[in-house]
Amino acid sequence: MSGAVAWLLVALGLLVVTVRRRSIAVGVVTVQALILVGVALNDAAGGADVVAAAALGARGVGLAALFLWLVARTRESRPVRAGAAPLVRAGLAVAFALLLTGLVPHIGLESRTDERAVLALVAFGMVAAATCRATLFQILGVVLVENGLALAALSLPRASSLAIELGVVFDLTLVVLVAAVFHERIFAEFGSGDSASLRSLRD
Amino acid sequence: MTSRDVFAVLLIAVPTLTAAVVSLAPQRLVRRVALFGSVPTSAIATGLAILAFRDLAHPTVGTWLVVDPAGVLLVVVIGVVGLLSVLASPAYLDTSQSSLVRPERRERTYFAVLYGFWAILLAVPLAGNVGAAWLLIEATTAASALLVGFSGKARALEAAWKYLVLTSLGLGVALLGIVLLSAGVPGGGVGSLSWHALTTYSSGRGTALVAYLLLLVGLATKIGWAPVHNWLPDAHSEAPAPVSALLSSALLPAVLLVAWRSQQALAPVVGERTTRTVLVGFGIASLVVAVPFLWRPMAWKRLLAYSSLEHMGVIALGIGFATPLAIAGVVIHLSAHAVAKALGFYAATPLLAHEPRAAGHAVTGIGRTQPRLGAAMGLSLGTLAGLPPFPLFVSEVLVLAGGFQAGRPWTAAVAAVLLALGFLGLAHTLIETTVGKPRRSRVSEAVGLGGVTALTLVSAVALLALAAAGPWLSRTDLVDALVRGLP
Repeated sequence: MSGAVAWLLVALGLLVVTVRRRSIAVGVVTVQALILVGVALNDAAGGADVVAAAALGARGVGLAALFLWLVARTRESRPVRAGAAPLVRAGLAVAFALLLTGLVPHIGLESRTDERAVLALVAFGMVAAATCRATLFQILGVVLVENGLALAALSLPRASSLAIELGVVFDLTLVVLVAAVFHERIFAEFGSGDSASLRSLRD
Repeated sequence: MTSRDVFAVLLIAVPTLTAAVVSLAPQRLVRRVALFGSVPTSAIATGLAILAFRDLAHPTVGTWLVVDPAGVLLVVVIGVVGLLSVLASPAYLDTSQSSLVRPERRERTYFAVLYGFWAILLAVPLAGNVGAAWLLIEATTAASALLVGFSGKARALEAAWKYLVLTSLGLGVALLGIVLLSAGVPGGGVGSLSWHALTTYSSGRGTALVAYLLLLVGLATKIGWAPVHNWLPDAHSEAPAPVSALLSSALLPAVLLVAWRSQQALAPVVGERTTRTVLVGFGIASLVVAVPFLWRPMAWKRLLAYSSLEHMGVIALGIGFATPLAIAGVVIHLSAHAVAKALGFYAATPLLAHEPRAAGHAVTGIGRTQPRLGAAMGLSLGTLAGLPPFPLFVSEVLVLAGGFQAGRPWTAAVAAVLLALGFLGLAHTLIETTVGKPRRSRVSEAVGLGGVTALTLVSAVALLALAAAGPWLSRTDLVDALVRGLP
């Protein structure tokens, strides 16, 4: 995979951390997933790789449809404000990504650029989940981490197991589906998908 | 296929099939099918354990399936707690009306998801490679989150949401660790993720250490080890009581077993002492975080949740010390904690019917107003506190002695102080809960006490038997096999 593609994925990840509109963020993670599908098909060495790429593509498109349906069903009167301003979120995300890439040594992927891109996407996903108050953005943070992990799987120097790859795609889709159920119920219960409402359980 | 393989397949197939039958059965048969299905599942779990314990020296070790003493010990625990949770569920469903789904689908959905969760949980200790173990653990998140938020109340939604997001992110970190391991093991494919293959990791100690840390930190979010435990008190306190019992007594130790297997597999690469120190660190951190909460007056289920944090910490110390004494302590601790914690959670259903205020506040004097309920709560709390002669006292002494045996006297001493503080906090709560001054002037009969009373008697016998077994367990073939780990 070329370094330009890896950095494009990172730039899209940073965009998810900073945008306010849910539909734009959904579009960005979907584009990311489709780029990963393109990389997977380009690097495919056999039928198993094509099947794994198809599963990744189906997941990306399926989740996009689900998220857009959720956005339509849970219209906010105005966008839920994040816990921090966009620039602060971006700064936090970049700082966390730099910290991770500095702390983690060579991890065995095909190139150091791929390794940095993977760690950056994982960091961005975590920052998105931690700093965005909108519940849908928190799910998108999890998806962003998953996209980073998919990039890691594609950058492995050796073939990975198709069964495990399909299992990961299935499991993560299942988790996102359950999260979607709760997002909708939280919206119905609190009148907003704002995780700031979820603060009654404290010691 | 060997008889062990057949039992292992049946162990997962039967509850899965029961979940399917519950989903399709006529409405009037749902509860009967669910209750009936629990018996064969737990019987198969027991059968598999008997087969495995008869030949401890020769575990089944394959790429996808492992049947070893540690795994079947967990299978028995999950089988028994699952059976009891299914049997305790009608009392919960009869006393609580709200749910995530429409009323006519409530019971069917609850049992189908509960069986799905149980089936996946039973498979976790038998996973033959770290990838399959991760897939199963992630699948438990989806199933159990639905159960945590099953009541559909605001607090339950909050707990389920935190659980889902935090554990998914944590497991994402663990998956990154697995990807790194997969990159460094020769061969590729699923075989490169088997527990044995991980010992051949060849990309250097530093990278292996990073992968191990990522894997363990990720698993720690699911085990509820501090400092990544934030979801645990909320999920355990807001889930239906039978589900809380499964989460605390079965899910946490099952994931902990995966962490233990990872440590054993990576110890030759990363270093025995380093890998164990990470576990000991999580153990001490969990005790430090849990103990102050054990001193605070707290709602019953929430108190039990913080006690889970403490006990997962003790088990982490035991597997971190890894001497025969410490591992004997782990065996006793794991079993007795499951019995006592499950009893405590099952007692929550009649408790909440008797005193709804207990959902959000500490209760006092239950032994005076409801002696049988007080006995159940007292037995549970007395055991969890580590009160002699109950088995958690024996197991904690064994784990601490194992710490000295392992050449970690300062760690063992710090743990001893923390456990003593935890004991004092829980002992105070035990007195207040059972014989303190009741806050209610009006006394009403608690619902569903018959089952809890019977379980209290059985639990008392089981707990005393475990306490009696403790002192000689360290010299048995079982502990010897557990110390050796997978071949």
